[in-house]
Amino acid sequence: MKSILVSAVAALALSTVAVSAKDYPSKEIQGVIQWGAGGSTDTVMRSVTPHAEKTLGGTVVMQNMTGGVGAIALNFVTGKPADGYTLLMGAENPLLYKVMGLGRKDYSDFTPIDILARGTAILVARPGLPFDDYKGMIAYIKAHPGELRIGATGPGGLPSVVTAMMNNVEGKLNVISVPYDGDGPALTALQGGAIDVMPAVLGAAIESIKAGKMKPLAIFEKQPNHLLPKVPTITSFNEAYAKYLPWGPFFGVFVKKGTPSDVVAKLSAAYKAGAETADFNKLMDGRGYTVMNISGKAAQDFLTKWQSNTTWLLQDAGLTKTSPAKFGIAKPGK
Amino acid sequence: MSQHLETDHHDGTSDATPGGYEDQKRPGETAFAVIMLLASLGLLWNAYGIAGFTSLSSPGAIPMATTFVMVVAAAIVLVHTIRLPKATGETFVKDILPGTVLLFVVFLVCYGVLLEPLGFILTSALFLVAAIKVLWRRSWAVTLGVAAFSLLLIWLVFRIVFTVLMPEGVVPEAEIIQTFRNLFTGGAS
Amino acid sequence: MEHLLAFFTIFTHPQLLLLVGLGTFAGVYVGAIPGLSVTMAVSILISFTFSWDVYPALALMVGIYMGGVYGGSRTAILLNIPGAPSAIATAMDGYPMAQRGEAGTAIGVTTTMSFFGGFIGILVLALAAPSVSAFALKFQPRDYMLLAVLGILLVGSLSQGSLTKGIFAGALGIAIGAVGRDPLTFAERFTFNMPLMESGISFIAVMIGMFGVSEALLQLHHVGQPAIKQKISRIVPSWSTIRKHLPLSLQTSTIGVIIGALPGTGGDIAALMAYDHAKRVTKKPTRPFGQGAIEGLVAPETANNAAVGGAFIPMMTLGIPGDAVTAIMIGALYIHGLNPGPMLMVEQPNMFWFIVGALVMANFFMLIFGLTGIRLFTKIVAMPRPVLIPLIMLLSIVGAYAVNNSITDVYWMLGFGIFGYLMRHYGYPLGPVILGVILSRLLDDNWRRAIISDRGDLGLFFRGIFTSPLSTVLFLAVVLIFVSQTPIWRWLKARILGQGKRSVEQ
Repeated sequence: MKSILVSAVAALALSTVAVSAKDYPSKEIQGVIQWGAGGSTDTVMRSVTPHAEKTLGGTVVMQNMTGGVGAIALNFVTGKPADGYTLLMGAENPLLYKVMGLGRKDYSDFTPIDILARGTAILVARPGLPFDDYKGMIAYIKAHPGELRIGATGPGGLPSVVTAMMNNVEGKLNVISVPYDGDGPALTALQGGAIDVMPAVLGAAIESIKAGKMKPLAIFEKQPNHLLPKVPTITSFNEAYAKYLPWGPFFGVFVKKGTPSDVVAKLSAAYKAGAETADFNKLMDGRGYTVMNISGKAAQDFLTKWQSNTTWLLQDAGLTKTSPAKFGIAKPGK
Repeated sequence: MSQHLETDHHDGTSDATPGGYEDQKRPGETAFAVIMLLASLGLLWNAYGIAGFTSLSSPGAIPMATTFVMVVAAAIVLVHTIRLPKATGETFVKDILPGTVLLFVVFLVCYGVLLEPLGFILTSALFLVAAIKVLWRRSWAVTLGVAAFSLLLIWLVFRIVFTVLMPEGVVPEAEIIQTFRNLFTGGAS
Repeated sequence: MEHLLAFFTIFTHPQLLLLVGLGTFAGVYVGAIPGLSVTMAVSILISFTFSWDVYPALALMVGIYMGGVYGGSRTAILLNIPGAPSAIATAMDGYPMAQRGEAGTAIGVTTTMSFFGGFIGILVLALAAPSVSAFALKFQPRDYMLLAVLGILLVGSLSQGSLTKGIFAGALGIAIGAVGRDPLTFAERFTFNMPLMESGISFIAVMIGMFGVSEALLQLHHVGQPAIKQKISRIVPSWSTIRKHLPLSLQTSTIGVIIGALPGTGGDIAALMAYDHAKRVTKKPTRPFGQGAIEGLVAPETANNAAVGGAFIPMMTLGIPGDAVTAIMIGALYIHGLNPGPMLMVEQPNMFWFIVGALVMANFFMLIFGLTGIRLFTKIVAMPRPVLIPLIMLLSIVGAYAVNNSITDVYWMLGFGIFGYLMRHYGYPLGPVILGVILSRLLDDNWRRAIISDRGDLGLFFRGIFTSPLSTVLFLAVVLIFVSQTPIWRWLKARILGQGKRSVEQ
């Protein structure tokens, strides 16, 4: 038995002598998806990766690893060697782990390969409510304090950020916040009348809006979205929102920090090509996502800015566990 | 056939008719009931720690209610069990945890410990060979053959078809697969 | 006319037909192996069929889904290890039948009844999808909560031995389901400050441990005994058997369709509820429940296959998944450039009719594959126990790992396996534990939502229950079932009817 062990160890030693881009990838790559099968991160990653594989000339085996708001997957990848054979396919959540007390690691322990796309937030309401836009909603909340039921998805989720924006701009709104475990179930509940208003990502609500099953109140962008050109922007109601925008959840592929730079470059080039394909762009556009396709310094800057804006926004709304200042996250510049 | 059913009755082979006896206690049953009560109490205390009695809709509300039910049920079971007479002719070592079962529990614990450092293939091979040898008492050739064949089958289904990446450990699995892949594609791509 | 053509697409294209068949065949085996799940298979197929057209991709997925839901019953009957959560109830009467050497009959009944249930599910999907989904949307958080309570009351009929032990097991299950970070507030519950507890305990891991490993450990007691000889001469049940159970199977199929159509509940809950229903309404079962009653097979198997059609109802009409598998299929539709949602039925009714056609075909294939190849299956099970037992253990380990690629789940699975082994010895039923884990989130999340929506006011909460007809009906059902399980009921019945004593005793 011992001899088997020894030879196996020897084989391992031989196989991991050097990681260099020349023969990368020399074996299959493991792609760890932070969220469950069928979710939006899953859909994005499973649709872009086959295209990226073609450029890369290797296989990426994708796995879903859920739990701990994505922290389980993140910690798993940080526990692997920084050789480019384990990719983290994730969304924006890790940037909030530290201030929310959900974990001690975030994307600062990673190198971005490609930030693929960004979503847009939209405020939707169930039909049958006596208001049709954002202004009407605010007036309704003032007239009926503590009656409007707004859906939520836990601290740090998109609804909590949008609600924090509203509280910062309009002053504390007296509403009932009903928690759901994702925007899908919450939007279902909205159609059944269990909640009245829901801040959601455009892609999740667009089909139901088109069908008239829910009504859009305002879109959280400075410019109207071409998919729903008639929906007013939030800044058209209140200019004060402009300082928070553009804001949206995003999807990106990451490797552990310390991965050789030529490997990172090769992966970035592959995912860049994948995100440029017509297939991927059509899919993203149809769901209301804005393709970003940035890597390197641009991606790093985007992450830094996103984290600084969002954590301080949540901090001002009193939703954080620890101040972003504790982790050296700079306050957004004026 | 009927004799077979009878021997099965007390260890609960069908879940709809669980084991144990209505009017007797089995060896270790009281200890088990005590442990259940203590564990329930511990969980109740832990559930109280989640949010205390803050509100009906706190994350601790249902855990507290359910662990409270556990405590009450476990207490009733314990009182009931203590009153019962001991089952005659049964011993803990013979009927509850015989040597083979204990050995397999040890095997499983070892499997859990070794899985990460050694990797799936080696650990499973060791487990299968040891387990089949112990139970079957056939020659080494038969044991090794059966173990290797079934492991290969499981590995093919899970690793290749379903791409479940079990821990690699010391076996460079990905490299081996890549070698095969290169062989089939002629080293292209 | 055009829709009819879309419906027949599947029958006129041999390639699609082949894919459905292939999918169904694979599904039966995926379903039969504990730890390989339909959810897994379908999500792998998304990458695999990425470059295909949408019809072939869907044909394959529909086949796997239908076959997989059925396949779970195989190992439940032959090994007492449910291959999938929706087959837990099937093991309760299926395995005792196999112990009598009647595995062939059991599989035959299971197959025909799965076919029947599947057919009812498809029929409802085809004829009444819009109205059923409108009904499913009506369920408010308090209704889901009442439904969960109704489910928890099943503990009574799932624990044949001591009811107290059953209640303990059910409560334990609910507590297990609460472990980890609460998905609504991210508060840590029962984690004891250990990071590995944060992600909670996968209920599949609990199920595989309690049914797989503990069964294997138990089998070690009988390792020397030869396997039971199975009569597999008469597999297809007689027409009179089918006709006798027709009323019951219609009722349980209805349960299956509705539970399947509700977003957030699926075939597993449907099957357990149907089993309970069968126990309640069957006055004279072929044998006592738990000892090989045919009714105990008919009910869960019709319900879980009817739930397949049910799960497609909200998916096709509203773009809302009815369960985990349809959630992934929605993702697949997106990837193939479709936009599942309320407009899909309006803009692309052909897609709807194609899926109905594929389901019909998958159902037929399931019947064919179910009734053939039984000999091979029983052979596998009849292999020497010294080989079978270690293999079951290894499969349980790989299966537990595969659910979420997590070693922690393997540890939990092993732990619950050993714990379940002791529970069986001391007369604690395992069914209620699984029931508790399945229902834990449904109960907890919706209780909190309901209370929060009513601003923490119990008065408002109860007013809500009695102003909604749906809630009132569910509430009355909860009260009735609860009362019927307590001694007060027997006493009342005995007083009023004078002779009810015997008939109440199940």
